[in-house]
Amino acid sequence: MMGRSIATKVAQAGLNVSLKELSQEALESTRKELEKSLDHEIARFGLTSSEKKAILSRIRLVTTFDAIGDADLAIETVQEDPALKRQILRELDRRLASDHPIVINTSTLSITELAADASRPERILGMHFLYPVTTTRVVEVVRGQLTSDEVFDHAIQFGRLLGKVPIKVFEMPGFVTTRVALPLVNEAMHVVMEGVAQAAEVDLALKLGYDFRVGPLEWADRTGLDRILNWMQHLHVETGEPRFRPCPLLRRLVRAGLLGAKTGRGFFTYDANRRRTDRLPDDQPGLG
Amino acid sequence: MKILVLNSGSSSVKYQVIETDLERMEEDRDLALAVGQVEKIGLSDSRLTLSVPGRPNYQDYREVLEHRAAIDWALRALVDPEHGVLAAVTDIEAVGHRVVHGGEEFASSVLMTPDVVAKIEACSVLAPLHNPANLRGYHAAFAALPKVPHVAVFDTAFHQTMPGHAYLYGIPFQLYTKHQIRRYGFHGTSHRYVSYRGCQALGWSRDDRRVITVHLGNGCSIAAIDHGRSIDTSMGFTPLEGLLMGTRSGDMDPAIIPWLMAMEELTLHQVNTMLNKHSGLYGISGVSSDMREVLKARARGERRADVAFRIFCYRVKKYVGAYAAAMGGVDAVFMTGGIGENSPDVREHSLNGLEFMGLELDAARNAATAGKEGEISTDGSRVKALVVPTNEEKTIARDVARVLGGVMPTFTPPESFA
Repeated sequence: MMGRSIATKVAQAGLNVSLKELSQEALESTRKELEKSLDHEIARFGLTSSEKKAILSRIRLVTTFDAIGDADLAIETVQEDPALKRQILRELDRRLASDHPIVINTSTLSITELAADASRPERILGMHFLYPVTTTRVVEVVRGQLTSDEVFDHAIQFGRLLGKVPIKVFEMPGFVTTRVALPLVNEAMHVVMEGVAQAAEVDLALKLGYDFRVGPLEWADRTGLDRILNWMQHLHVETGEPRFRPCPLLRRLVRAGLLGAKTGRGFFTYDANRRRTDRLPDDQPGLG
Repeated sequence: MKILVLNSGSSSVKYQVIETDLERMEEDRDLALAVGQVEKIGLSDSRLTLSVPGRPNYQDYREVLEHRAAIDWALRALVDPEHGVLAAVTDIEAVGHRVVHGGEEFASSVLMTPDVVAKIEACSVLAPLHNPANLRGYHAAFAALPKVPHVAVFDTAFHQTMPGHAYLYGIPFQLYTKHQIRRYGFHGTSHRYVSYRGCQALGWSRDDRRVITVHLGNGCSIAAIDHGRSIDTSMGFTPLEGLLMGTRSGDMDPAIIPWLMAMEELTLHQVNTMLNKHSGLYGISGVSSDMREVLKARARGERRADVAFRIFCYRVKKYVGAYAAAMGGVDAVFMTGGIGENSPDVREHSLNGLEFMGLELDAARNAATAGKEGEISTDGSRVKALVVPTNEEKTIARDVARVLGGVMPTFTPPESFA
């Protein structure tokens, strides 16, 4: 999902991109999802059909690493699993021209640690793209302990080329966005668990009170409660700070398989198109 | 003199070499020696085209990453012994640049001094997609041709003669002083040329007449030109206002925008592209932004294509009536632009039923006129209707010669509140 979204954004910026999938089957499903998400954006007037055609013509779907030889830059976007990421990095490190940057897309993992066994760790850095990559305006550019200035500047420029505002961060668990957002989301969950207010009203209070476009609990549902739990556990272990201890209600929902929008139920309920089905009357779109 | 005319967009540069001077333009003997463009700048498969009258078209592909390389490439093509038209780059004696927005700063074409360039840069806030690209073209051309004069010709300049009651919007006045929100109008070079040429063809002087120029291309606008001065035009703060266009909405109730943004939860980007790229002929017909396709669909009986066509023509007619009223009458209506020059259907539906104000369309003349100059009203018509093919590049080249010859007319804005 993240890889697809990043590839779309890169193609939208007029660059050619190869998107590597694990299997032919995954590749077919990616092709369909690409079409679907672009069609959705056309229906929302954000894109025209000729722009869609141009974007698709710049994305090459592949299943092997062969395409990487002449790339200017490589981005890995596998799930937040250090062992898996390390395995991919080894492949990239071996195949990509030696002075071209390798980008790790992560919201919580240590760039320095992942880069440790690379042949040239100075060309490895992190870029934390936020989903959906095509519309979110920010990207965190993360400098590992050994990342060179040149590679870091290169990545900042690349971020600008994608039309994003790069936020420069030094490596620390959670960087800026994840580190600040997670305790807020966790606290909202505590409020619900303690029975202070219902989930829908907690979200509404923050939306209307502080101009959040999406309430924190709906944001968590849309991100995936399993991913939220995974990030929090990681931050908790890495920092030892109690403020990152996952709320027990979050654990309970994940154990029950209520993972948010993708399973149809988390703090709220969703239809097959991931639209909320239980909005309060005060939470409808309108002129306010 | 040989003048290089450049129209630089964000990813393309259109170029022409035109031979003209004050004498030639007096006799309408301007000569386009070569026409071409470099497309897809910034990509690995950029394309250069060059066409020279009497020769097969030439094209070439290579990677061109920025405007400097694009203009160098175009210059090399122009001096190529086999495909070119110039013996040496030094044959180019001046360069004319199309600049989209001159704000309130520029009411006529000017020599590009560092001060002028800085002022054009300052106008970028009003045309963030166009002015920076125009300037990239200028900087690239200046690097290649530093010894010759460069002249800027603005799309907005001709309309600077509009009076305050035509250019101010009915919104709080401080928004004009703070953000320069007002009607600027566009296609000025085309309206200026067509009003001049149309009057000339009729044996009139533009300065004695009231004419309406209708530019119908991918973008569409209409202007009321009273004794040689633009007193109103349909495009406004941006080229979105006024007539229906290929993919642009033209006039609509501005309250629709916040309403839609709230109800559909659209972002600024989405609502912008909705109005600029998903609307107009395309958005209504669902067929195409190209009038030719819409006409075909209409002939097949597609109702949405028919209504798109009717909206398009109805708006033209409404504006013609409005501008005739604004000038207290009209002597001629000139049709131009790809659609205005080539579509008798559009002209007929836009201009029929205007006999009450003295305009009688001649059906046979209208049907027989496509892509060329010609009268389309009856001999007895009190208001003349003509097709006048536009030529912005020629006007730019002529302005270069005028500026260098010290005879560029200046259009003084009648009133300023700034």
